[in-house]
Formats: sequence, structure tokens, C-alpha cells
Amino acid sequence: MASYYMSSGSCEYSRALLERGLEGGYHFLDAIAGVDACEAMNRAMENMELLQVNSPEKKNFFYTNLDIPCTDDEDAVAHLREQVYRKVLTQLHEKYDIDISDKAIIDSVNKHNEICRLFKEMDQYRHLDNPTITGYEFAIFVLASYVCPKDLMIDKLKETCEELKTRVPDKKKDFRIKAVVVGSEIDDPDLIKLFEENGIRVVCDRYCYGSVPGRQEIILNKDEDILTQVVRNYVQTTECPRQCIPHKVKYRFQHAADLVKEYNADGIIYEQMKFCTYWSYERTLASHVLRDEYHIPTLSIDRPYRSGNSGQLCTRVQAFVENVEIKKIKAQRAKKNEEAK
Amino acid sequence: MEPNENKKGLGRFYRGDKRAFTHRERKGFKDTFYDYFRWLKLYGLMVVKLMVHPILIVKALLRYRWMASYLTAANMVDRHTLGLRGKELRYTHEQFYSLMYYSVVKIRDIIVRDLHLRPKSKHAAKLRANTLMFDEMTPSIIMAGFPKVKWIDISMFTIGEPGEVDQNANIFYIDAIEHFGMASDVCPLPEAEVGCAVTDDYPIVGRAYVTSSMPCDGSIGQTTFLGRYIEKNGIEIFQIIPPQRFNEEQVQDFAVKNLKKCIAFIEKEMNTKWDWDAFWKGAEMYNTSTKMMINKWDVNCTPYPQVCGAALALQREYEYQEVACLDPFFIKTDIKVDKMMQKGYLQDKKNDTNKPKYRAIVWACPAHYYTNFTYWTQHCWGVKCVVDMECMLSHHFFHIGDKEQAMIDMAKSYERMMMRSHTNGGYVNSLDECWKMAEKFKADIVIMFDHVSCKNVAGLHGLYEEQARKRGIHLVWVSHDLMDPRTVSRKAMRTSFNQYMQNIFHAEPLDPSLLDYEEALTW
Repeated sequence: MASYYMSSGSCEYSRALLERGLEGGYHFLDAIAGVDACEAMNRAMENMELLQVNSPEKKNFFYTNLDIPCTDDEDAVAHLREQVYRKVLTQLHEKYDIDISDKAIIDSVNKHNEICRLFKEMDQYRHLDNPTITGYEFAIFVLASYVCPKDLMIDKLKETCEELKTRVPDKKKDFRIKAVVVGSEIDDPDLIKLFEENGIRVVCDRYCYGSVPGRQEIILNKDEDILTQVVRNYVQTTECPRQCIPHKVKYRFQHAADLVKEYNADGIIYEQMKFCTYWSYERTLASHVLRDEYHIPTLSIDRPYRSGNSGQLCTRVQAFVENVEIKKIKAQRAKKNEEAK
Repeated sequence: MEPNENKKGLGRFYRGDKRAFTHRERKGFKDTFYDYFRWLKLYGLMVVKLMVHPILIVKALLRYRWMASYLTAANMVDRHTLGLRGKELRYTHEQFYSLMYYSVVKIRDIIVRDLHLRPKSKHAAKLRANTLMFDEMTPSIIMAGFPKVKWIDISMFTIGEPGEVDQNANIFYIDAIEHFGMASDVCPLPEAEVGCAVTDDYPIVGRAYVTSSMPCDGSIGQTTFLGRYIEKNGIEIFQIIPPQRFNEEQVQDFAVKNLKKCIAFIEKEMNTKWDWDAFWKGAEMYNTSTKMMINKWDVNCTPYPQVCGAALALQREYEYQEVACLDPFFIKTDIKVDKMMQKGYLQDKKNDTNKPKYRAIVWACPAHYYTNFTYWTQHCWGVKCVVDMECMLSHHFFHIGDKEQAMIDMAKSYERMMMRSHTNGGYVNSLDECWKMAEKFKADIVIMFDHVSCKNVAGLHGLYEEQARKRGIHLVWVSHDLMDPRTVSRKAMRTSFNQYMQNIFHAEPLDPSLLDYEEALTW
């Protein structure tokens, strides 16, 4: 049905969201807040609104769609603050009597920060030469943290952190190369599993629904309006290619290269969900820039939304692994030859 | 033998193995003479303006692929005037001539400044030092406040316009960027622009560059490539960031602050100062042009529409986009056509003639490679396009004399520019507006251009269908791929329209020779 409403050329993720709504899957919701950030998501939200996917019994239900600026300066912060306050907070307060005071926002930020500290602790095991947490495991935790109430997750994450302290890796590495995954939305940990089953250990998740950015603490000060600080954090840390202002584009390339260095990875997988226009451009450009200017082996993938079982993708990943390994062997030989001379 | 050979009707001018028309149309003595005179006038203009730089022209033709498409400009006018007679022929020629006139002048301006063509010329360097480059979809009306600075929209002249003049103009650039790794599902317009950048086919004609966060995702993606390309040439960039949900008054503050930053950027980069007196003059020209546009809409709402089809849409599109309504020649043409139109309307009303068989409005993004599609619907089926979404842009007037309000006016003007006006700001501007316009223009048919790579309008596909059914509106989907005729050919576009007219309306074609013909090779 969603393909009828949004056509088969629209992003499959946004269609999946609409489909869920048409099936009545959002009747438990009290509001839907969307962002006018990409065409597909914007239209998915608008379809939901016009097709009334909400429960008719919830009389206070509201839809809202935020205007997200494509830049990160202080005018953009002020603009988004106004949007969030007027379209989300005020409505929540007026319709559901939800506390939107500074204190309430600080409490939420504190909960967010607690989760982030736990992820930071887990993340240190991805920095190891032989990481004791797989990319697949990490992806599941991160994904759960985006959709579960934080209160219900904290003890599970703490337990995992404790376990990781004593986890011993296999003596022989069960991967051939380490890679950073950069790109568009991945809400299917099976895709990460596919990479890992074909010889890659995913050590960093710089994609939508990954932990970079998203699972970093928000540091607040007492001198400035709290909501402004929270909004600034999102405006300035987002790495969505929609932020097309030139310094942000450069920052994203540099940051991807920095992550490779930080995690001691052997390469980058730039992945793009099919029909995601922003990432189509970003992936194309970045895969050349990272390879030609930063000299980082890069695999560039244009994949369907659900691709955890793609044989074609397995072949490409395997070829990439071999390619990186051959480069490593050649580099070692060249080094030996240099030393011999 | 070609299917249309020896037949009567306009289809006989096309042959599958020919690029140009088989021969010129005879429209009766008066109209043939007029038509031929306009043809000579256009070539005369090109000779006078461009052949004063014969070496540069040859260099440009050898250096830039897009340049060759301009040689077929006269054929573009012929495609749009084919089958027209009397006052409609004259409106169309006048409208197109202003567009062509300005394009020829700008091509001249480009070649005399271009760094690639004249890397060692001091004169060219001097000209570049006083020229600001613009991307498309930017509020170039801002240049009304900088009368001493020259400005050129480099995207429209390299990709936008050649694609409309010659259907095959952009294919090379699309292929180039897809070889580079771009997914083939993105819109071919920004894709071709990016292809033009990776093949180093943009002219460098200024010392700074103004771009924007465009009205669609693809165009936003384009800015990342183009920005990099321009910066590599040592040129500073300013990116205008308009708000998306522009129907809300609250967002205008952000828009105005952003415009003021752009003004400061131009002042700094071009070493000049904003001039309010000059700006007011420009704003008055803009208002005049807008008034003339609204007059055309008003007349077309009546049973006797006058300036229709691409003559209405393309002229407005270019007047706003390439000229920012600041060109006296365009304004002069607007006033002239307005007078002709009012006279023609009164004449038709008095005689109760020239009523279209079917009235149509065109909605969503039309195919750049088939701008004369609505002339074909008119000649083949009697379906006259009384308004096109692409011309329904920026009808917000400037408040002359009020400086703060003028900034808001400027923001509102570019928020409602081509594409952005309907595809941004929420479904109300696209969906609801369509039904409102169908009612206002008393349309029997909505020609719904289904740009297969446009995810924006695609996201409303089902709602359009459902609501049209509910309202009893004939919504005719015509698929196309904007700048890539290989995906959906002109012929395939016609076929989908034919099928609707034959199967739903059970209509008989006015000109059966136009039902089926081949023109894949033509410009």
C-alpha cells in the first residue's frame, strides 16, 4: 500500500514506516513529530497525516513536521529552537500537560548522558586490536537504545559492560580486516552481520542509527537557555549529508578518515540505502575523496533497505576484504624490500 | 516509407532518420512571412552578438559540449511555433525571443570572461573580477542592490537551457557521473550538473559564487559537488539556506538573517556596497514583471485564454531564474505581449471564438527534453494548456520603500521560486494547490507530469490519484525523466496521453498524423 501512495521509487525505509501506519501499527502513539529533512520522510509523514494512521480514539493526537536548517550557525540554532518549542514542546504541554520546564529537559539530558557513558565504556572494546565486542552486537544495543525507554535499558547495558570486562577474545582473530561503516540508515543489524560473516570486523558505526553521532553526551552549562543548548548539540553534531554547507561537507570526510585512524581500521564501507538521494551524492563523492586524497581503501555500496541476505553484497564484501589484504601484503613486502636495501 | 510521409497534418514534418524538420511549415502568406522574419531575426541576433568574437566562439564550441546545443536554438523555437497561427504565433515568438535574446547576450558574456577559454587574458580577468557567479534556484534578485556588479547563472546556461533546446544535450553528463559511481535513480538535472563538474565543463566567469540549499534533495546533493569544483578554482562560496516550511510566518526571520549574510558576503567579495536606490528600481521592474504574469493568468482563467503552453511557462521561468526580472528587454516584451494579449482577448470575447476544446493545467515538473509537449496536446487533441505549475512562481510583490519589509519580500519571493514554490513547504503547496488551480482555471484535465526520478512528487502519488478520483478530475499521468529521454522517450510520453484520450474520453484526434511518429533523433 505504501508503494501505491509513495510510488516504488521512494526510499524503502519511509515506505516501510508508512506501511506500518496503514496497518494500524501506530495506534499506541499520542503524537507523530516528523522532520522536513528529506523528501521521502517528509512525504511519509504527510501521508500518515492525510491518511489518518493515528488512533481515532486519541482526541489529543497531533502531527507536526519540523523545518530543519541545512546549516549549523547560530541563526540555524535559534530557528530550530523556535520550531521545537512551538511545534513540539508547546503542543505536548498544552495537549498532555507534559512538563517542559528546564528542569525536565535537564533530567532527560541526564538520562541520555547516562546511556551515552555506558556506550562509551562498551566502545573502548572496539578500539582493541582484537575487539571483544562485534559490530553486530554493538549495532543491536545501539538500535535498542534508540527505541527503548531509557529507564528499562540502563541495567541491561550495565550488565553488558560488566561482562565485557572479562570477555576473552579468540586467540586467532575471527576477522580479516577492520572497517568503519559510514552511510545512510541501517536499522537491520543483519547487514552488519553480513559484513562480519565475510571477514570484516565493524569497529565503528558512523551511519544513521549508529552511535556516531548520537551516543555522545550533551554537556550543558548554567549560563544559557537549556533548550538552545540541546538544539545546538543536534544542529552541530549531525552528519546527515543534507547539511550541505561546505565546511560541514569537508568535516564529514575528515571525520570519516579520523575514525579510521582512531579505531585502527583498514578501510571504510560507504553504504547507501537505495533511493536515498543525499547519500547517493555523499557516497559517490566520499568514496573518491577518501580513496584518492586520504588513501583509505573504500568500498562503495548502493543497497536495498533489507539486504542482510544479499549474495551479491557478500561477493562485493569478500572482494573488498581480499583487495585490502593484498594491499597490506604488498605494503609489507615493499617495507621489507626497503629494509633489505 | 515513413508512416507520415504523404500525409497531411503536422506529423509529416517529422522523420525518424532526421534531426531537423523535413521542411518548413507553410502557414499562409502573412504568417509564413512573419515566421520566417522571426527566424531570420533570431539568427541575425546570434550573428551580431556572437560572431564579433569568432575565435572565442570556435574555442567555446571545441571546449564545451553544451555549447553546440545552442546552435539548434532556432529549431527549438520552430518546435514550439509549429502549427500556430495568427496572434498565438506572435505571442509565442515574442515570448521566446526575449528568452533567446537574453541567452545569446549571456553566452557572449560567458565566453569573454571564461578562465578556461581565456586563461591569460587581462581583459577577461578584469571582467571576472567584477562578476558574481550564481547557481540556479538562488534569489538573484539580490543583485538589484548591486548595480555595478555583473552576475551570471552558470548552471542554467550550461545544463538547464541546453537540455531544453536539445533533448540529447545532457546525456553525456548523466553518463559521466553514473560512471563515477552515482546511483541512477537520482534526478537527472542535478545529476547532469554534477556530471558537468566532474568533466570540468563549467565556465569560470567570476570571482565569487552564490549557491543555495536547493529545493530538492538531489539539488542539495549537487551543491556538495559543485561547491568543491568551484572552490578548487580558488573561488569563495556563499550558500543561501532558505527555510523549508515557508508557509509559516515564524520562519521568515531566519530567511531574512540569511539573506543579509549573503549581502554582506557579496559586499566583501566584490568590494562594493548595497545600494537601496538601485534596489528599489529593480524591485519596481520585478513588480511590473509579476503584474504582467498575473495578467496572463487572469486572462487564461476566462473562456478565451491567450498566452498558453511553453510560451507562458518558459518565459516566466527564465525571466525569474536567469534574469531575476531585472532585464529591460524582458520587461519591454512583457508590456508588449500584455497589450497584444488584452487586444486578442477582447477580440475573441467579442467574436466568441478560439475557445479550447479541452482546457488543461500542467502540474508537477515537466520534461525539459519535451517543452513543446503541450503544443502537441493542443494540435493533436485540442487540449490547451492554460497554465503550467512552473510559471506559477514568485507572485509576491515588493513593498517599495520599506527596507525591512523588502527583505521579507525577497525571502518570500525566492521561497516561491521555480519548483520550491510547490514542492517545498508541505503537501498543501503541491496537492491542495493543484485542485485550487484546476478550479480557478476551469480545467477539464490536469496533465500530471510524473517525473520518474522525482521522489518529492512521487511521495504524493497515491494521494493525487485518490483525491482526483474523489473530485472527478481527469488526472492524466505522463511519465518522463526530466533530462534523460532514454528512460521515457517523447514518443512514450505521447503514447500515454493518447491512451487516456482514446480510452477515457473516447476522443478523436484533431490531427491523426500526430498520433504516432518518431523523433528520437531530433533536437
